Amino acid sequence: MQVQNPLRKIIHVDMDAFFASVVEREHPSLQTKPLVIAKDPNLTGGRGVVTTANYRARQFGIHSAMPAEQARRLCPQAVFFQPDFTLFRMVSDQIHQIFHEYTDQIESVALDEAYLDITDNRMNVDNPVWLAHLLQSEIWEKTHLTCSTGISYCKFLAKEASDYQKPAGMTMISEQEALPFLKRLPIQRFRGVGKQTSIKMEQLGIKTGADLYQLSEALLINQFGKLGYILYRRVRGIDDRPVIGQRLRKSLGKEETFRHFLTDLFTIQTVLSRLAKEVCSGLQKSQLHGKTLVLKVRYADFTMRTRRLTRSDFFANDVDELQEAAMQILTTLPSKPGGIRLLGLTVTNLANLHFTNLTLPLEVK
Amino acid sequence: MNFSINRVAFIKALNVVQRAISAKTTIPILTGLKIDVTDHEIMLTGSNADISIQTTISTANPDNELQIQATGSLVLSPARFFAEIVKKLPDRELQVDVADQYQTTIKSGNSEFNINGLDANGYPHLPEIDHEHQIELPAKLLREVISQTVIAVSKQESRPILTGVHFTLEKHLLAVATDSHRLSQREVELESPLTSPADFVIPGDSLKELSRMLDDEEDLIKLSLSENQVLFTFGETQFYSRLLEGNYPDTSRLIPNSSDTKVQFAAGELLAAVERASLLSHESRNNVIKLTIKPADKQVMITGNSPDVGKVEENLEPQALSGNDLEISFNPDYLREALRVFGSVPVEVAFTSALRPFTIKPLERPDEFIQLITPVRTF
Repeated sequence: MQVQNPLRKIIHVDMDAFFASVVEREHPSLQTKPLVIAKDPNLTGGRGVVTTANYRARQFGIHSAMPAEQARRLCPQAVFFQPDFTLFRMVSDQIHQIFHEYTDQIESVALDEAYLDITDNRMNVDNPVWLAHLLQSEIWEKTHLTCSTGISYCKFLAKEASDYQKPAGMTMISEQEALPFLKRLPIQRFRGVGKQTSIKMEQLGIKTGADLYQLSEALLINQFGKLGYILYRRVRGIDDRPVIGQRLRKSLGKEETFRHFLTDLFTIQTVLSRLAKEVCSGLQKSQLHGKTLVLKVRYADFTMRTRRLTRSDFFANDVDELQEAAMQILTTLPSKPGGIRLLGLTVTNLANLHFTNLTLPLEVK
Repeated sequence: MNFSINRVAFIKALNVVQRAISAKTTIPILTGLKIDVTDHEIMLTGSNADISIQTTISTANPDNELQIQATGSLVLSPARFFAEIVKKLPDRELQVDVADQYQTTIKSGNSEFNINGLDANGYPHLPEIDHEHQIELPAKLLREVISQTVIAVSKQESRPILTGVHFTLEKHLLAVATDSHRLSQREVELESPLTSPADFVIPGDSLKELSRMLDDEEDLIKLSLSENQVLFTFGETQFYSRLLEGNYPDTSRLIPNSSDTKVQFAAGELLAAVERASLLSHESRNNVIKLTIKPADKQVMITGNSPDVGKVEENLEPQALSGNDLEISFNPDYLREALRVFGSVPVEVAFTSALRPFTIKPLERPDEFIQLITPVRTF
């Protein structure tokens, strides 16, 4: 087993309801209202997906990647605001400039989220809590936006920590605290443990980190493959991944495993539309778009097929366009008895969305 | 069927029709070569369903040394196999003799092949062409029109109509192609205008194939139309192409009629600079370069900047420039492909604003040819 570098100090900065807060800042009258960042479903004929929502709107059960129409039903009085990514990017750049006053080892995950390795920092501050405090205050002073910070010696614990107390929170998980913290953590909170995995975990009697800790590496790998290998390390507080500056995302995808295998086209279409929705909102949030769409299908007999469709032009971050293209790929794949146990949709060949080639309005007379 | 012919003349005709024959086709008989022998000529046909090429070898031309003993039709499949045999035969002449059940004997010198033929009745019929809609153009001019427009044809099947070039015939011939990021339009005055106007869309791939068969001569090419096919006739050869179905978008209003910044370049010099700048942009994920124009300072600068690769900067020397300051970003490939068809003539590049399409026209005869390129929006 590799030895941890005990000297690393990492801060995970997560802006609180970033897009919604920026809009509230620009329009203070919205601060007291449930605010949803999405095109008004009344104007789009019910299309569109929630980019994010403020905390008030989240109390109604609204969350990102939810259809805007559904958000409207959950909270009819909610204010819908069309996302202005030019503005969001500008504010994000401003925040990144602040980061650079502290360190150049910055890994941006999205416009509103970044890891900072402050082991060696420009402020020459040894105490990471003090440094996080300085950072939070400066962001507030310069942007009037709040963020939550998590401090630890590795990336995933820093992220867990920032999530622990929101909004405007600060949580530190030291090496000594790591193990007790992880043992208390419900199993669903471990990254990579989704709906399907948690069902399997439950069947194995694993409810918390402490239960996970009991299991051998071999058993976990046997049960969960690569994820098992990672979980075995995570629950022991081991995560050597470095903070990589200018990390460029190569692809963005979502996949779903089904307990009841998919056999009819209608259900498949519904699932693809759901996956397309999540991929679109992910791309939009990271301000990326891609030229290649990859469809992954695992059949009941565990055979797997992936097929890609590359266009000379970028796919629009549009649910219908991605879903249609995915269906187009699907028709080239064989259908097998027993149906489909896993569907995955990934967009790759990515580039920044802030370069878009304009198109001519080609209408038929 | 029975005939003898000069081998070189036969190979020449075979090469022409073979352009249309593909080894991969959904209609098996189309991998073959169709041969029709009548009293005075042999007609060879090849087709891939999109394009069909027919050429005739006549007894009237003594170079063909054609002697017809018996008429008839058959298909020899695959065509490539038959062509290879003919090309490797030993003598200057060859003789083809078809017996019962399309058993075909090919003789030349001391060599003799026996191959199986197919019934020509299984071969698709070529369309009847209406000779009312008909124009004539010099080969050289037609080649020019094709090369200037096919570059802008869409390579994506998502909107099939854009994979063709839109022709409108009346007093003028107007050829337009666009893939929605760029547009290319060529106009040619017709010597004998059509009595009733016609418009149709020819697949870009057909035009590229046709263009390879045309020479740089002033020989006239005849263009005729049917419901869903176009026919080009030149020399002994007929070239048919299917037309694309559907309505072509209205492109007439897309070309701006005014501009705020104009720059003149020698096309070749601008092309060289764009090619240099795209060396860098191609390595980057965003294939974008920027043009900065400051008429007051007589400055035009091309820059490319990608944080992951590096930077490029070049000051250009325009022949003339006027109008407002402008910074505009675009995909260099579009400009590069546009400039290539101009050769070395002087061009005028005209801009309205950073987010509006810009145009490239030849300084001489600017009404004949125009290309439009849309910029890239950067934030």
